[in-house]
Amino acid sequence: SLGEPNPAASPTPGLDTQGDGRWMSMHNRFVSDSKDKEPDVLFVGDSLVQLLHQFEVWRELFSPLHALNFGVGGDATQHVLWRLSNGELDHINPKVVVLWVGTNNHDHTPEQICGGITAIVRLINSKLPCARTLILGVLPRGKSPNPLREKNDQVNHLVQLALPTLPRASYLNVDPGFVHSDGSISHQDLYDYLHLTPHGYQAVCQPLHSAIKALLEAPGEN
Amino acid sequence: MSEEEMNPAAVPAPVKDVQGDERWMSQHARFVLECKDAEPEVLFVGDSMVQLMAQYEVWRELFSPLHALNFGIGGDTTCNVLWRLQNGELDNIRPKVAVVWVGTNNHEHTAEQVAGGILAIAKLLTSRLPRAKVVVLGLLPRGEWPNPLREKNASVNGLLRSRLPKFGTVQFLDVGGGFVHSDGAISPGDMFDFLHLTAAGYRAVAKPLSDLLLQLLDETPEERRTSLV
Ligand SMILES: [Ca+2]
Repeated sequence: SLGEPNPAASPTPGLDTQGDGRWMSMHNRFVSDSKDKEPDVLFVGDSLVQLLHQFEVWRELFSPLHALNFGVGGDATQHVLWRLSNGELDHINPKVVVLWVGTNNHDHTPEQICGGITAIVRLINSKLPCARTLILGVLPRGKSPNPLREKNDQVNHLVQLALPTLPRASYLNVDPGFVHSDGSISHQDLYDYLHLTPHGYQAVCQPLHSAIKALLEAPGEN
Repeated sequence: MSEEEMNPAAVPAPVKDVQGDERWMSQHARFVLECKDAEPEVLFVGDSMVQLMAQYEVWRELFSPLHALNFGIGGDTTCNVLWRLQNGELDNIRPKVAVVWVGTNNHEHTAEQVAGGILAIAKLLTSRLPRAKVVVLGLLPRGEWPNPLREKNASVNGLLRSRLPKFGTVQFLDVGGGFVHSDGAISPGDMFDFLHLTAAGYRAVAKPLSDLLLQLLDETPEERRTSLV
């Protein structure tokens, strides 16, 4: 409710509940990687960003754009906020930041998640005033219709409503139609009904690549 | 109570749908359905290490040609795999080899218990598929730097190495030998999040595994010929 802090917009490091320190290792690696790179494009977000880096489509479409990938599986908006507030943006000056996060915010309402996403966009704008942020819509999930699909739809709707208030940001729906007419999602597209197959990434990445190129070629002013 | 009944890692259990999109049960239901038409020679069962392999080229190159089915689910523990195998994922199929790779997600269990859970899966496979051979893959090291989970996974492997020989048709294969460098670090070039394998990481794992599978599949018809004589 009004006045209470939004947990989805409060920078929070990932907890090392398992005990192998992997979350912080990944963050540290991104910070040190960013010191010798001069990326034009930065991808930041959760496993949907992270896994993209593992497939051929990354080398085919995004490596040639000088892109860096700062995706961490399981991250929610508050984790991405923490990472970006703690060094991941300090040594680089990308022209475009692609933001894809929100489907892991299980404890938060669509309003809170949208607040988390807009907080990330504002942080990016304050750290990188010349960069444009491209917010990707969260994808539908689950084999059959379920409350999380509705929630993700609401997040996308709220983000689009908030867009006019956001500095240098645009929104792209990258769902090529993963939900079939019978309401089902195919494992050929989302292998576990959440994460994309290489085939699913192909469908997502063609329009994404075009959108990034358009932003890279756009005139400097907003 | 038997040793297994007291081991929480050997108690079959489905995954609770805490997130609310029923993805785990959808995947299990799909695997059960796949059993009805497929006639696999090789069955892979386990967690994300098994599941992600099917997303890389190496699967189509080395394992699809062997008529392999992939029943991997990210996050699964020994308990979850036991439940799936007891609830339809072995019905209607008779693979010649079953590959088991699970245990790194058993965060609430000791190394002793995890090894017991893996042995329970191997035992279930040999009793349900008496003609099949079972390959148990060793747990991989994890985390960028030395940490308690690496030690635990190494202990699980040690226990499996000493206990599995008692099961005639089950063998242990450790594919994790090359991942820890001399300074103790694991490279993101092999494990992108210091747990899951990259395409290059899978290449290193897949070669010895595919060699063993070819050898086991090759032995099977010869044994049949001998038993006919
Ligand atoms: Ca069959």
